[in-house]
Amino acid sequence: MQRYSIFSLIKNAFSNHENWDVAWKDPEPKKEYDVVIVGGGGHGLATAYYLAKEHSITNVAILEKGWIGGGNVGRNTTILRSNYMWDANGLFYEYGMKLWENLSQELNYNVMYSPRGVINLAHSDAQLNTFARRGNSMRLNGIDAVMLNREELKKMIPFADFSSARFPIFGGLMQPRGGTARHDAVAWGYARGADSMGVDIIQHCEVTGFNVQNGKIQGVQTTRGNIKTKKIGLCVAGNTSLLAAKLDMKLPIESHVLQACVSEPVKPFLDHVVTFGAGHFYCSQSDKGEMVMGGDLDGYNSYAQRGNLPTLQHVLSEGLAMFPNISRLKMLRTWGGIMDMSMDGSPIIDKTHIEGVYLNCGWCYGGFKATPVSGWTFAYTIAQDRLHELNSKFKLNRFNTGHLIDEKGTATKVWLG
Amino acid sequence: MSQLYRLNKDGYINRDKKISFVFNGKKYFGYEGDTLASALLANGVHLIGRSYKYHRPRGLFGAGVDEPNAKVQLYRGTETEPNANVTEVELVEGLVAKSQNCWPSVYFDFGAINNFLNKFFPAGFYYKTFMWPKNFWYKVYEPIIRKIAGLGVAPLTPDKDRYEHKYEHCDVLVVGSGPSGLGSALSAGKNGARVILAEDKPRFGGSLLTDEVTIGNKKGNEWANEVILQLKSMPNVTVKNRSQVFGYYDHNMMVMFERTKDHVENPKKFTPRQRLWYIRAKEIIISTGSIERPLVFANNDRPGILLASAAKEYMKVYGVLVGNKPIIFTNNDSAYETAIEFKKNGINPIIVDTRESSDNSVVKEAKNLNIEIKFSCGLANTRGYRRVNLATIGKFNSDKSGYEKLENISCDCVCVSGNWTPTIHLSSQSGNKLKYNDALNAFIPNQQKQNETTIGSAKGSMTLKQSLEEGFSKGFELSNKITNNNLKNTAPTSNERNYGQHDKFWCMPLPKKKNYKRFVDFQNDVAVSDIELAIREGFRSIEHIKRYTTLGMATDQGKTSNLNGLQLVSNIERKIVPEVGHTTFRPPYTPVTIGTIVGREVGKHYRPTRKSPMHEWHEKNNAVFVDAGLWLRPRYYKQEKETLLEASTREAINVRKNVGVCDVTSLGKIDIKGPDSAEFLNRVYTNAWMKLPIGKARYGVMLREDGIVFDDGTTTRIAENHYHMTTTTAQAVNVLAHLEYYLQVVWSELNVNVVSTTEQWAGAALAGPNSRNLLSKLFPENDVSNENFPFMGYMESELFGVPARIFRISFSGELAYEINVQSSYGIFMWEKIIELGQEMNIEPYGTEALSTLRIEMGHVAGSEIDGRTISYDLSLEGMLSKKKDFIGKRSLIREAFTNPKREKIVGLIPLDQKTMIPEGSHLVKDGNATLPNPKLGHVSASCWSAEYNNPFSLAILQDGKNKIGEKLFAVSPLKNRNIAVEVVSSHYVDPKGERVRS
Amino acid sequence: MLEIKCPYCGKRSQNEFSYGGDANLKRPELGKEVSDKVWDDFVYYRSNPKGKHSELWHHVSGCRQWFKVSRNTATHEIFKTSKLDEEL
Repeated sequence: MQRYSIFSLIKNAFSNHENWDVAWKDPEPKKEYDVVIVGGGGHGLATAYYLAKEHSITNVAILEKGWIGGGNVGRNTTILRSNYMWDANGLFYEYGMKLWENLSQELNYNVMYSPRGVINLAHSDAQLNTFARRGNSMRLNGIDAVMLNREELKKMIPFADFSSARFPIFGGLMQPRGGTARHDAVAWGYARGADSMGVDIIQHCEVTGFNVQNGKIQGVQTTRGNIKTKKIGLCVAGNTSLLAAKLDMKLPIESHVLQACVSEPVKPFLDHVVTFGAGHFYCSQSDKGEMVMGGDLDGYNSYAQRGNLPTLQHVLSEGLAMFPNISRLKMLRTWGGIMDMSMDGSPIIDKTHIEGVYLNCGWCYGGFKATPVSGWTFAYTIAQDRLHELNSKFKLNRFNTGHLIDEKGTATKVWLG
Repeated sequence: MSQLYRLNKDGYINRDKKISFVFNGKKYFGYEGDTLASALLANGVHLIGRSYKYHRPRGLFGAGVDEPNAKVQLYRGTETEPNANVTEVELVEGLVAKSQNCWPSVYFDFGAINNFLNKFFPAGFYYKTFMWPKNFWYKVYEPIIRKIAGLGVAPLTPDKDRYEHKYEHCDVLVVGSGPSGLGSALSAGKNGARVILAEDKPRFGGSLLTDEVTIGNKKGNEWANEVILQLKSMPNVTVKNRSQVFGYYDHNMMVMFERTKDHVENPKKFTPRQRLWYIRAKEIIISTGSIERPLVFANNDRPGILLASAAKEYMKVYGVLVGNKPIIFTNNDSAYETAIEFKKNGINPIIVDTRESSDNSVVKEAKNLNIEIKFSCGLANTRGYRRVNLATIGKFNSDKSGYEKLENISCDCVCVSGNWTPTIHLSSQSGNKLKYNDALNAFIPNQQKQNETTIGSAKGSMTLKQSLEEGFSKGFELSNKITNNNLKNTAPTSNERNYGQHDKFWCMPLPKKKNYKRFVDFQNDVAVSDIELAIREGFRSIEHIKRYTTLGMATDQGKTSNLNGLQLVSNIERKIVPEVGHTTFRPPYTPVTIGTIVGREVGKHYRPTRKSPMHEWHEKNNAVFVDAGLWLRPRYYKQEKETLLEASTREAINVRKNVGVCDVTSLGKIDIKGPDSAEFLNRVYTNAWMKLPIGKARYGVMLREDGIVFDDGTTTRIAENHYHMTTTTAQAVNVLAHLEYYLQVVWSELNVNVVSTTEQWAGAALAGPNSRNLLSKLFPENDVSNENFPFMGYMESELFGVPARIFRISFSGELAYEINVQSSYGIFMWEKIIELGQEMNIEPYGTEALSTLRIEMGHVAGSEIDGRTISYDLSLEGMLSKKKDFIGKRSLIREAFTNPKREKIVGLIPLDQKTMIPEGSHLVKDGNATLPNPKLGHVSASCWSAEYNNPFSLAILQDGKNKIGEKLFAVSPLKNRNIAVEVVSSHYVDPKGERVRS
Repeated sequence: MLEIKCPYCGKRSQNEFSYGGDANLKRPELGKEVSDKVWDDFVYYRSNPKGKHSELWHHVSGCRQWFKVSRNTATHEIFKTSKLDEEL
């Protein structure tokens, strides 16, 4: 792998940048692999990377039906955090934060990890108390968290509505190490790293079926031919139910579209990630200067990577309730991503009843920040054929045993999806 | 300063009205009808801003929404707007504009150092560096990059302007008022359809405003004017200018914003700044025209280099010359129009044409006018830092891979034309999969997906004749599907100049051994070399290239750059353009002000505010309110300098000692009627309901199907088949939908009706030992003795003539009653209660005292019913009927739910009897253990006990059942607390529940 | 914004409705023994198809009736709406 650095950049400048290698190759699929990862998104690429790096399994293919990084890793709001209440989530995502902290150096690719602080605003004492429950749980798990009062917040986000808000700001919970990263760079960095260790990244290769014999996986059928393998990992958040259906599996998952948008770029004024507690709005300002904003689901099953305006209207009204100064900024770009909405809001990283088939899904809104730790634990599970302590609670059968991990307390009502 | 570049004829501006404005601190004049762009050009100002990455000087490039460069910070009165597009800003008196993204000024910008170092900043350079040392990205590099990036400056104060929304339906929506749009609107309107015609610009007519054509026996612009007047006179037609349809959403929902204020000199006080239109149209005609493509050549970004069509528009619409020494650089015939226009105004242009020849009529006309034409030539380079002053014209070698000879010609502007790109954004947003048209080298719409029909040059029909014919015929055809009036109109005859085929050559070679930047995307500084680099590095999908180079991601969204980028990729990859594909077109077509999208739901109106009928009384009596969902409820009634804790403790003690009154109007109320009501309640609640007598209330708990507790409340049997259900304030809406779901979807055989009556009743809770005494005063004619009106009793009566419902129910754990009267009598009831309660020392109490009372009684509320607890956890398992089935029961037998060590609600008392335990604390064995410190439970609610005058808390504790009497620590690392506590029963006060029955 | 035809009120915009999920879910009969699988399938497991989907909607800001909709989850095309007791 050609190393990236300021020196290589300068050196290449003098040859007009004509000597850079490809970041990853474009191989033809082989007949057989030790492990096949379906889905060239963040999680799939990270899984392949850690299979090679941590478990020395390099005869690996990533099969991607489109172009790598084109799914949710490239259509999120780039937020990283581990501010979870339940241990299963908190410890898992905290391990992820530790991976994030070193990721640029590990991958030799600047993923722009920016620990600018994630602030959750509270709009009542009752909400502050539920935040305290979460924040205290974080602290007892060794995760950073601080409570902020109104005066402290006024210094950090003076342009927020502290005077005439319908739901006044009472305070907030902040995870100082939370922040953002450059989403595309994460996918590309993992791709480059995996490729350099021998992983085949095969784009425009759609999985059309599976060969299962006697309860064991034998291989996959693809638009570019059949590929033999004994182990296959599914990392296709958004479309998991569709692939699972090809394995005759039904999952506790619905696919929903989550929209996000950015404003035109402006000079920096917002230095943190801030979420609005009297709604679902969250935003940060990218290094380019764009306000990156997101909120709530459109609210009905969807496989369309686009949403409708009333949801954005609703979300942006929450934005103006929090930051009334952004009213005169202009919304530049909108997009949608398809979420695997699991029934308790937490992910599934598990083996399945088919030997050699491993499942990584159910990320809801939170998949991006999980990219490193999801890949790390999934690689472990595939390589060792067992769950790691970190993903031991993310079992599929928790929906049968009742060991649910419901952060928000809003889990399934049958008629609310 | 005089307007040196203003022609003394032509244009649609009002030369009688001079308007002054300020740009970069200097005062200029323009005319009414100018845009900021045309007024600046009239004054010879081309340099407007700096580019995003290299801070290169940039000028006006277009004349409309496609403008990539000319964005300014705009000031109007006290408001400011970043990134305003000068080509769209209409000139009004007092306008102040400033260049952005430059320091100290647009003329001398320190950021331009980036341009000299641009060699080191190729596409994606930031992924390759800034990684060492580790923390420097966040601490050093990123802050610097953030400062350099960004364009204008965001306002930091709330927007004072108002934005409105409008919902509209129509038969036919026509987007764009060029010849095809006008034709279709007229044809559909005359056929009786309800038509909306939307035009983005202030003036209708599109290309007819600038093209030398005739329609019927009129000039194009005159014909357009007449059609507009005709349309405006038709009652079934709405004509809107300054209105941009920016989104095509599902089921033919079109969204448009209308600019209603900024162009008005003295707007009325309540004039909205913009209006958002949600238009549901039966048929949508997309006549959005086309945008001229740039040619790509070395240093093609200098101020003074602009689109040929824009140069023509400035002459024809605004009477402004973009320069006196123009070079027209083209690969097609249409740019000859611009040259001819210059010539007519006494200016001698030079045409540089990449083609070997052309003999179409417009070319002949140019030749006849003695305009110099250099065929087989291209621009090899330009010079001029703040404005172009020299063009290097190269004679191509045979395969156009280089130049045979170069020649420098001085100039003050270059008008470029690389042919036309249909504006297919809306068509694509509708779901239409585009197809590539080889003749145009552009994408056009394919198979219709919704009810969208694209016509005119947006569809690739590049002649006026085709546009008019398509407009008239589609306008008739689509309207007739709806009206069936069969009133057909045919297109008028027209006359235009002929254009031939353009040269499919658009990216000029560099002069030998030169490394000049050839820009594809101006605003984001994406050059040919960046796209080449991306492909070299394996970013081959067009989406990868876009993301890696940021091509087409600037505020103009690549309107002038996307197609050139695609063609470049296809050339390098030796693929045809359709194989490369295109990036997805998403709304909005142009950036939309966030305030416009939000409308009136701002400030206090962000969400509705629900107030009880007694709200004003509470206000007058110093209530401090708290948000409970959308409701405002009194939290406490402040006396003098009391704190929250002092006031709520006073109120709670008064309830325990005397009597208090609490406004409970916000509780959800559902009226349930029908012969199967009892059976229904029996299925919905976990306890038994079949035998509840008339005139009795019962407490009930409902679950979700997953076994988690959903809500609780009392339901009262009012008559044989009539029940009154109460829910918590928070879940009122969800419970109603829940009941409706089961009644309609699951158990349709049950004959039951439910309806919300929350707003119909005002509620007051009387609580305390004196409450019966007070009740007897309020209802002197009723026997309210314990024998006649026992706990959980219900009666109907009149409160001094006002019909009232009285429930003997208690949340506070005291002897208590709840009175409901019709909402309009709420204040009457309340004042009567206060008046008659005076002698018993009545005091109103708020939610905080209510909370204290329920906590020390061990009653659960929202902080325990938090969507994660089951009946067992809340010590409500005694209410789970073993005899019958109910919603969620089947889930309760699951492993996790039957674990004997499950959490259970308990009480906590600090060992020192003094320290309040913060809510949200966790219970641990050892407060100082190493992390992660295992958590045994959490503190859900805390109060200062009114009964015992010490702190008391409720907690949900693992195996809480067997932990009574144990000593644990309640820790709150956030507040740096570590409090030794004793676990006690959750029923701290009156554990046997005697008071409520007394 | 979707346009949904309420079988009782006629065509209305989506913001009058709330979504109710898969219409093919059948709640096991009350009081009847059912296997864990049948119960968990009802509470948690969804077929979640891409394409035609029968689903429930609730006209919350209208007649408050629940009804069925056949919709394409990939394109949002609505094929048909019907009352609960009618064939979709």
